[in-house]
Amino acid sequence: MQAAAHADVHAHEAHGHGDHHHEESWLEKYVFSRDHKTIGKQFLITGMFWGIVGGLLSVLFRIQLGWPNETFPFLETFLGRWAEGGKISSDFYYALVTMHGTILVFFVLTGGLSGTFANLLIPYQLGVRDMASGFMNMLSYWFFFLASLIMFSSFFVQTGAASGGWTAYPPLNGMRDVAISKGSGLGFDLWALSMTLFVVSSLLGSLNYVATILNMRTKGMTMMKMPLTIWAFLFTAVLGILSFPALLAGVSLLEFDRLLGTSFYLNDIVINGNLLDYKGGSPILFQHLFWFLGHPEVYIIILPAMGIVSEVLSVHSRKPIFGYRAMVISIMAIVIISFLVWAHHMFVTGMNPNLGAVFVLFTLLIAVPSAIKVFNWIGTIWKGSLRLNTPMLFAIGFVSLFISGGLTGLMLGNSAIDIQLHDTYFVVAHFHIVMGVAAFFGMFAGVYHWFPRFYGRYMNETLGLIHFWGTLIGGYAIFFPMHFMTGLPRRYYTFANFETFNNFDNLVVFISVAAMVVFSLQLMFIVNFFYSIFKGRKVEGEVCNPWGGTTLEWTAPVERLHGNWPGEIPTVYRWPYDYNVNGRDFIPQTEPLKPGEVEHK
Amino acid sequence: MTVLIATAIFILLFVVLVYVARASELAMVLNGEDKDTSKWSRFNGYMSLGFLVLFFAGIAWACKLFIPVMIPKSASLHGVQTDNLFYITLFFISVVFVLTHVALFWFTYRYNEANNKEAYFYTHNNTLEVVWTVIPAIVLTVLVVMGMRVWFGIFDVTKRDAKNMMVIEATAKQFQWSIRYTGKDGAFGERIIDKEHITPENELGVNWKDENSHDDFFAKEIYLVKNKPVLVKIGALDVLHSFYLPHFRVKMDCVPGIPTQFYFTPTMTTKEMQEHLSTQPWWQQVNPETQKPRWQTFKYELACAELCGSSHYGMQKDVIVVEQKEYDEWFKEQSSYYEAVVKPTLTSEEKPAEKVQALVSK
Repeated sequence: MQAAAHADVHAHEAHGHGDHHHEESWLEKYVFSRDHKTIGKQFLITGMFWGIVGGLLSVLFRIQLGWPNETFPFLETFLGRWAEGGKISSDFYYALVTMHGTILVFFVLTGGLSGTFANLLIPYQLGVRDMASGFMNMLSYWFFFLASLIMFSSFFVQTGAASGGWTAYPPLNGMRDVAISKGSGLGFDLWALSMTLFVVSSLLGSLNYVATILNMRTKGMTMMKMPLTIWAFLFTAVLGILSFPALLAGVSLLEFDRLLGTSFYLNDIVINGNLLDYKGGSPILFQHLFWFLGHPEVYIIILPAMGIVSEVLSVHSRKPIFGYRAMVISIMAIVIISFLVWAHHMFVTGMNPNLGAVFVLFTLLIAVPSAIKVFNWIGTIWKGSLRLNTPMLFAIGFVSLFISGGLTGLMLGNSAIDIQLHDTYFVVAHFHIVMGVAAFFGMFAGVYHWFPRFYGRYMNETLGLIHFWGTLIGGYAIFFPMHFMTGLPRRYYTFANFETFNNFDNLVVFISVAAMVVFSLQLMFIVNFFYSIFKGRKVEGEVCNPWGGTTLEWTAPVERLHGNWPGEIPTVYRWPYDYNVNGRDFIPQTEPLKPGEVEHK
Repeated sequence: MTVLIATAIFILLFVVLVYVARASELAMVLNGEDKDTSKWSRFNGYMSLGFLVLFFAGIAWACKLFIPVMIPKSASLHGVQTDNLFYITLFFISVVFVLTHVALFWFTYRYNEANNKEAYFYTHNNTLEVVWTVIPAIVLTVLVVMGMRVWFGIFDVTKRDAKNMMVIEATAKQFQWSIRYTGKDGAFGERIIDKEHITPENELGVNWKDENSHDDFFAKEIYLVKNKPVLVKIGALDVLHSFYLPHFRVKMDCVPGIPTQFYFTPTMTTKEMQEHLSTQPWWQQVNPETQKPRWQTFKYELACAELCGSSHYGMQKDVIVVEQKEYDEWFKEQSSYYEAVVKPTLTSEEKPAEKVQALVSK
């Protein structure tokens, strides 16, 4: 396998050497590109678009939650009948929360995050000219694009976008009947179609990543010499390959129920006093299929962020990552256990309580490798010489958020406590901190850190710092207070109908304002991003190595090159974390060991 | 117009920001700070300390403000146990939270390049790795064991007081609850799920030929008796709902086609809870809507906790916990659904089911 791969790399070189590959036409270079760097940028910019849309949706529903009794005429100007009289309708509210979840989980934090950095870094950090299949990689993006188009178009259908929750539980979403739920009409069909294409995109991408990582590493790049980013992408891809098909199956069967009249998920449904013909299905079956993807999905989101953070912390601490081997093992442990915890989303769905016990055990167990990672990150910055620039700060912020959000998982994962907390704002606080804001921080750390690799320029540091401190404080301001709303059901349009839940008037306003501030700060990030592409400070020198990194992506020239390296691809001699060793600031992976020097094990 | 002005100001703000950024970047290069970043690192080191203080102070302040507002102590037997488990877990995670955050932000300050020019090459330490694997593992094992004891305590069928408990049936549909009581005989009328029995007048499909059904009644509010265990049989007609009693720490999904249940014991009457709250400062506040102190209008409520459609947020029902005597009085006042609604539509010769069927076909 290994030999064959090398032969392939060399063959690739043989015909591409010197004049450096074929000329790319404009269309090939910028649109239907098979170049991993361009595809990475395409994922990033599409992800940023979705980030703005998803964020905007949350601002809209925060307006409703913060000021449920007031009207805002400008909303009607923009939204028409969805906000008649300047008040968001409850149907539209549920469409907003549904689409907010779907977009951020799948299109931003999966497509945008994994798609961007796996594409950029796998070939670069492994010393490969491009992905195993450039064509498949291109298809992966264009399926993602198509899925995006369809998802976006669902906002514009008569009955509105899907509104039954991003989890798409039947029977609410299981019958094509707008009398049950407006979003259960065409909006949901488009949702399902879009998700199907998204799964295709994800599989094409993931297979490619795995193939590239396993087969195409450059000479000397053994598995244990790979940067932690690559380990993270490898396991993210494995998770995706094993779990996304379950979602595909689940959603397909759901569409069978909706369109063909089967009863996979439906049984004894009574609507307006009429017993429908569905017989023998189980709504809980869908939940099992959904969460079999849904839980690994949160690790699909967080693992790349963890990989990025490990790398960024080490580079800017000028210090090796602490416990490299433990980091790799803990990723593996997380991946394996993440397949055995899905039903902790279902403790009170009527699933057998004995079954719940198993999932409590594994859910709490997964905290062990997570804890190992946190301690190793803190160990990494201990006695470092920290360069506190924007990427580093975002990485540190990630660790803080991952701790704060992760710890409450110990409460939610314990089924007895979860009875009260399930589907309340406590859960909203938990997962937004641990996989929402934290994953965003990982993504921002990555964007600020590898922006010079993408565009040969730096992002603006001043705007970056405002972005960081504002988002850290603002992010906590939004989600930390939600812990106190223990017991308040989530997905409530208003709490006015309940004496019990109507006690947080000032707090909901505070959260809404914080959400708007944080959203504006993200717009600032976007401004910074596009401004810096054209006007940012340039990276100096022939080779693009602005941070003094050891890994291979920093051995390539500044200008974008199809094939990444002008001459031979680099050969690797040492592990990726030789910082501040032997009296040198850093030693690139390409530098052979000195006589007598012991290779890091 | 105001929207336009707001938008214009917003855009202007961004333009200003861009220019500030540009200027600062130029200044950065002029001062050589692009090569030597220690000045920026020092600044961010102080920011990091400031954040640490702000963060902890903010949490303390939020606790002071919001803990009194939260849903009060548990009014059920098992709820006390789950709450205790919550607090025990909270203790452990607070310790970890504080220690790790102090370390994280203190190190960020202490070891930034302005304070520490030379990093210490230190790749791993297996003893440390073992320590911070084993300690969490032990704590987690303790939590799992405690959690399982409570969990099985709640759901173990053999631990039920079957003789003494009352049974009620809660059925959810978009967007209301129907609560069925057994009547004097202590048994529900049988329900048959077929098109003959399920009609708009009889959505539950109750078989009126079953005599057990004759004294069943539907209650406007859920009445429960203090210290008397109750088994709630839970179901749904159309989509998923969730039977949620926040004050009793009870939550169980209502699933069409799959019956679920929850067994619990209320321990405080509504009055007792009100008296308890009347001693607490926050609950003295006058509610602007009712013009009464909040503790006076306190009530137990039933809510839906699983997204069920456009009026999901409105599925409210009052829950009233009383002493046995008061319950008996209330119970006497309830009239059987069969007697009050179904029977008057029947003539003596006709079999009930046929009659109802005939009614439907009209």
